[in-house]
Amino acid sequence: MLETPDAKTSALRAKMLVENVDIYYGAFRAIKNANLEVPDRHVMALIGPSGCGKSTFLRALNRMHDLTPGARVTGTVTLDGHDIYAAGVDPVTVRHRIGMVFQRPNPFPKSIFENVVYGPKIHGEHNSKRLTEIAEKSLRAAALWDEVKDRLHKSALDLSGGQQQRLCIARVLAVEPEVILMDEPASALDPIATSKIEDLIGELKKDYTVVIVTHSMQQAARISDFTTFFLLGELIEVGTTSDIFTRPKDKRTEDYITGRYG
Amino acid sequence: MARALTVRATVPEQLVSNNARSRRIVDQIATALLWVAASSVVGLLLLFVLYLFVQGYSAISWHFLVGYPQAATAGGGVGPEIFNSFYILILTLIFTLPISLLAGAYLQEYSGPGRFRDIVQFSAESLATVPSIVMALFGLLVFVQILGWHFSAIGGALTLTFLNLPAMMRVTQQALASVPATYREASMGLGATKWQTLLRVVLPSAIGPMTTGVVLVSGRIFGETAALIFTAGASVSYGASAYDFNPFHTAETLAVHLYSTQREALVPDATQIANGSALVLLVMVLIFNVVARVVGRQLTLRFTGKA
Repeated sequence: MLETPDAKTSALRAKMLVENVDIYYGAFRAIKNANLEVPDRHVMALIGPSGCGKSTFLRALNRMHDLTPGARVTGTVTLDGHDIYAAGVDPVTVRHRIGMVFQRPNPFPKSIFENVVYGPKIHGEHNSKRLTEIAEKSLRAAALWDEVKDRLHKSALDLSGGQQQRLCIARVLAVEPEVILMDEPASALDPIATSKIEDLIGELKKDYTVVIVTHSMQQAARISDFTTFFLLGELIEVGTTSDIFTRPKDKRTEDYITGRYG
Repeated sequence: MARALTVRATVPEQLVSNNARSRRIVDQIATALLWVAASSVVGLLLLFVLYLFVQGYSAISWHFLVGYPQAATAGGGVGPEIFNSFYILILTLIFTLPISLLAGAYLQEYSGPGRFRDIVQFSAESLATVPSIVMALFGLLVFVQILGWHFSAIGGALTLTFLNLPAMMRVTQQALASVPATYREASMGLGATKWQTLLRVVLPSAIGPMTTGVVLVSGRIFGETAALIFTAGASVSYGASAYDFNPFHTAETLAVHLYSTQREALVPDATQIANGSALVLLVMVLIFNVVARVVGRQLTLRFTGKA
């Protein structure tokens, strides 16, 4: 069990539990025996040098590897105690409960409104009043409402990169997931847009469990409660962010944190 | 450091590569050659259109465009042939589009690499290499003789379907392949099924390239001759009107008419009619191209939320 990052937080509950997970691309073993607890309603950052497997690991948490031919995940990943890889579990339902924001903003070539309500619509919501409410709520939660409320029916592709990424977050929020996975969500954005996304993540952890891959250690330090360090497909160390950055237990973590690795 | 920053007025001798001039000349010659090659495509098209205009212009009249063809006297028109060309094109698209759309979508979106996909791909490629005259003999055997439909619009359309299915399937596959993978990821990441993703995100994004592809294939269908001579026939309907919607009646298209008047017609103005038919055929295909491109662009804008 992880220690709480600050005294005020009550006892931590593990939202997701990763046990003995290996991930293969064909014969290549990209992740070697990873074990991790993802605490409920906190931000967990995954850091490590390029190619260490942090994105690969993240995509195993909502079965995105099912879509990659040749990719294979072994071990167990549970959400609230239920194995998401168990036989009979529908990956579509898993992705409904565990949303994902990608590295590059990828809005659909549709209007802003249609982007946000895409998820609710495919899950069967067709009441237009209800959809309008969902759109406003999600866009507000993603701190985008004031910027787009007068142009909801204009193309999402005309938004700036930072706005597009917040739209993608709003689109995920609209399906009301419990966990949000983010794969370097700010790496394609300028510093101002990045700080908006970071502020937003700080807000989101009140209601959601967030797991974020980042290549920026400063970002991990700024926004996360817990940090996990990966190296060459191995999960080296996990702890509270302040512990990892000030008192790393493993020599390899320390080398990476202090810039002596890669 | 400071010295390195001083700007020199002249370029030092040793910085000029000794073959710079000759390389620049070669570069200019290459550019000119590429330009000439590209322009000659445009030039050839213009020359071709101009030639057909000069040859065929005098044959064109309202009577020629809507009138019936004559068996032995001068002054025949191509009205029913124009009608049949569009009729067979539409029938062919009705058969071809659903099959090629579904098959192309299956290959591109559903089947992973594997034996079944290889077999389908190989079959499509083999089918694509069958000469249209061979396909016509197959159509003659199956539709005209075995099924006993005689020469008919539907027999012609089905023969053209076999002929164009591989190309249309390839068009679908390429159009779907042009849709960024990030759209699919985003949709699946929101808990959409594959079918929902295909229907709501992938297909609407592929509508532009799809339309362009359909136009190109349609141009081929419109101009196809060999496959139709033995299946749809080289004469217009003997029904109440030569403008005939009955798919089981014989239906000579404009392209076939062009061939048959030149080849075997008894009318004294056969050359004139052939020239006129060629011009009409060309103009039709050009109009069709332009219209469908405009429609494709409009559809793209509409489906991508830009309109």
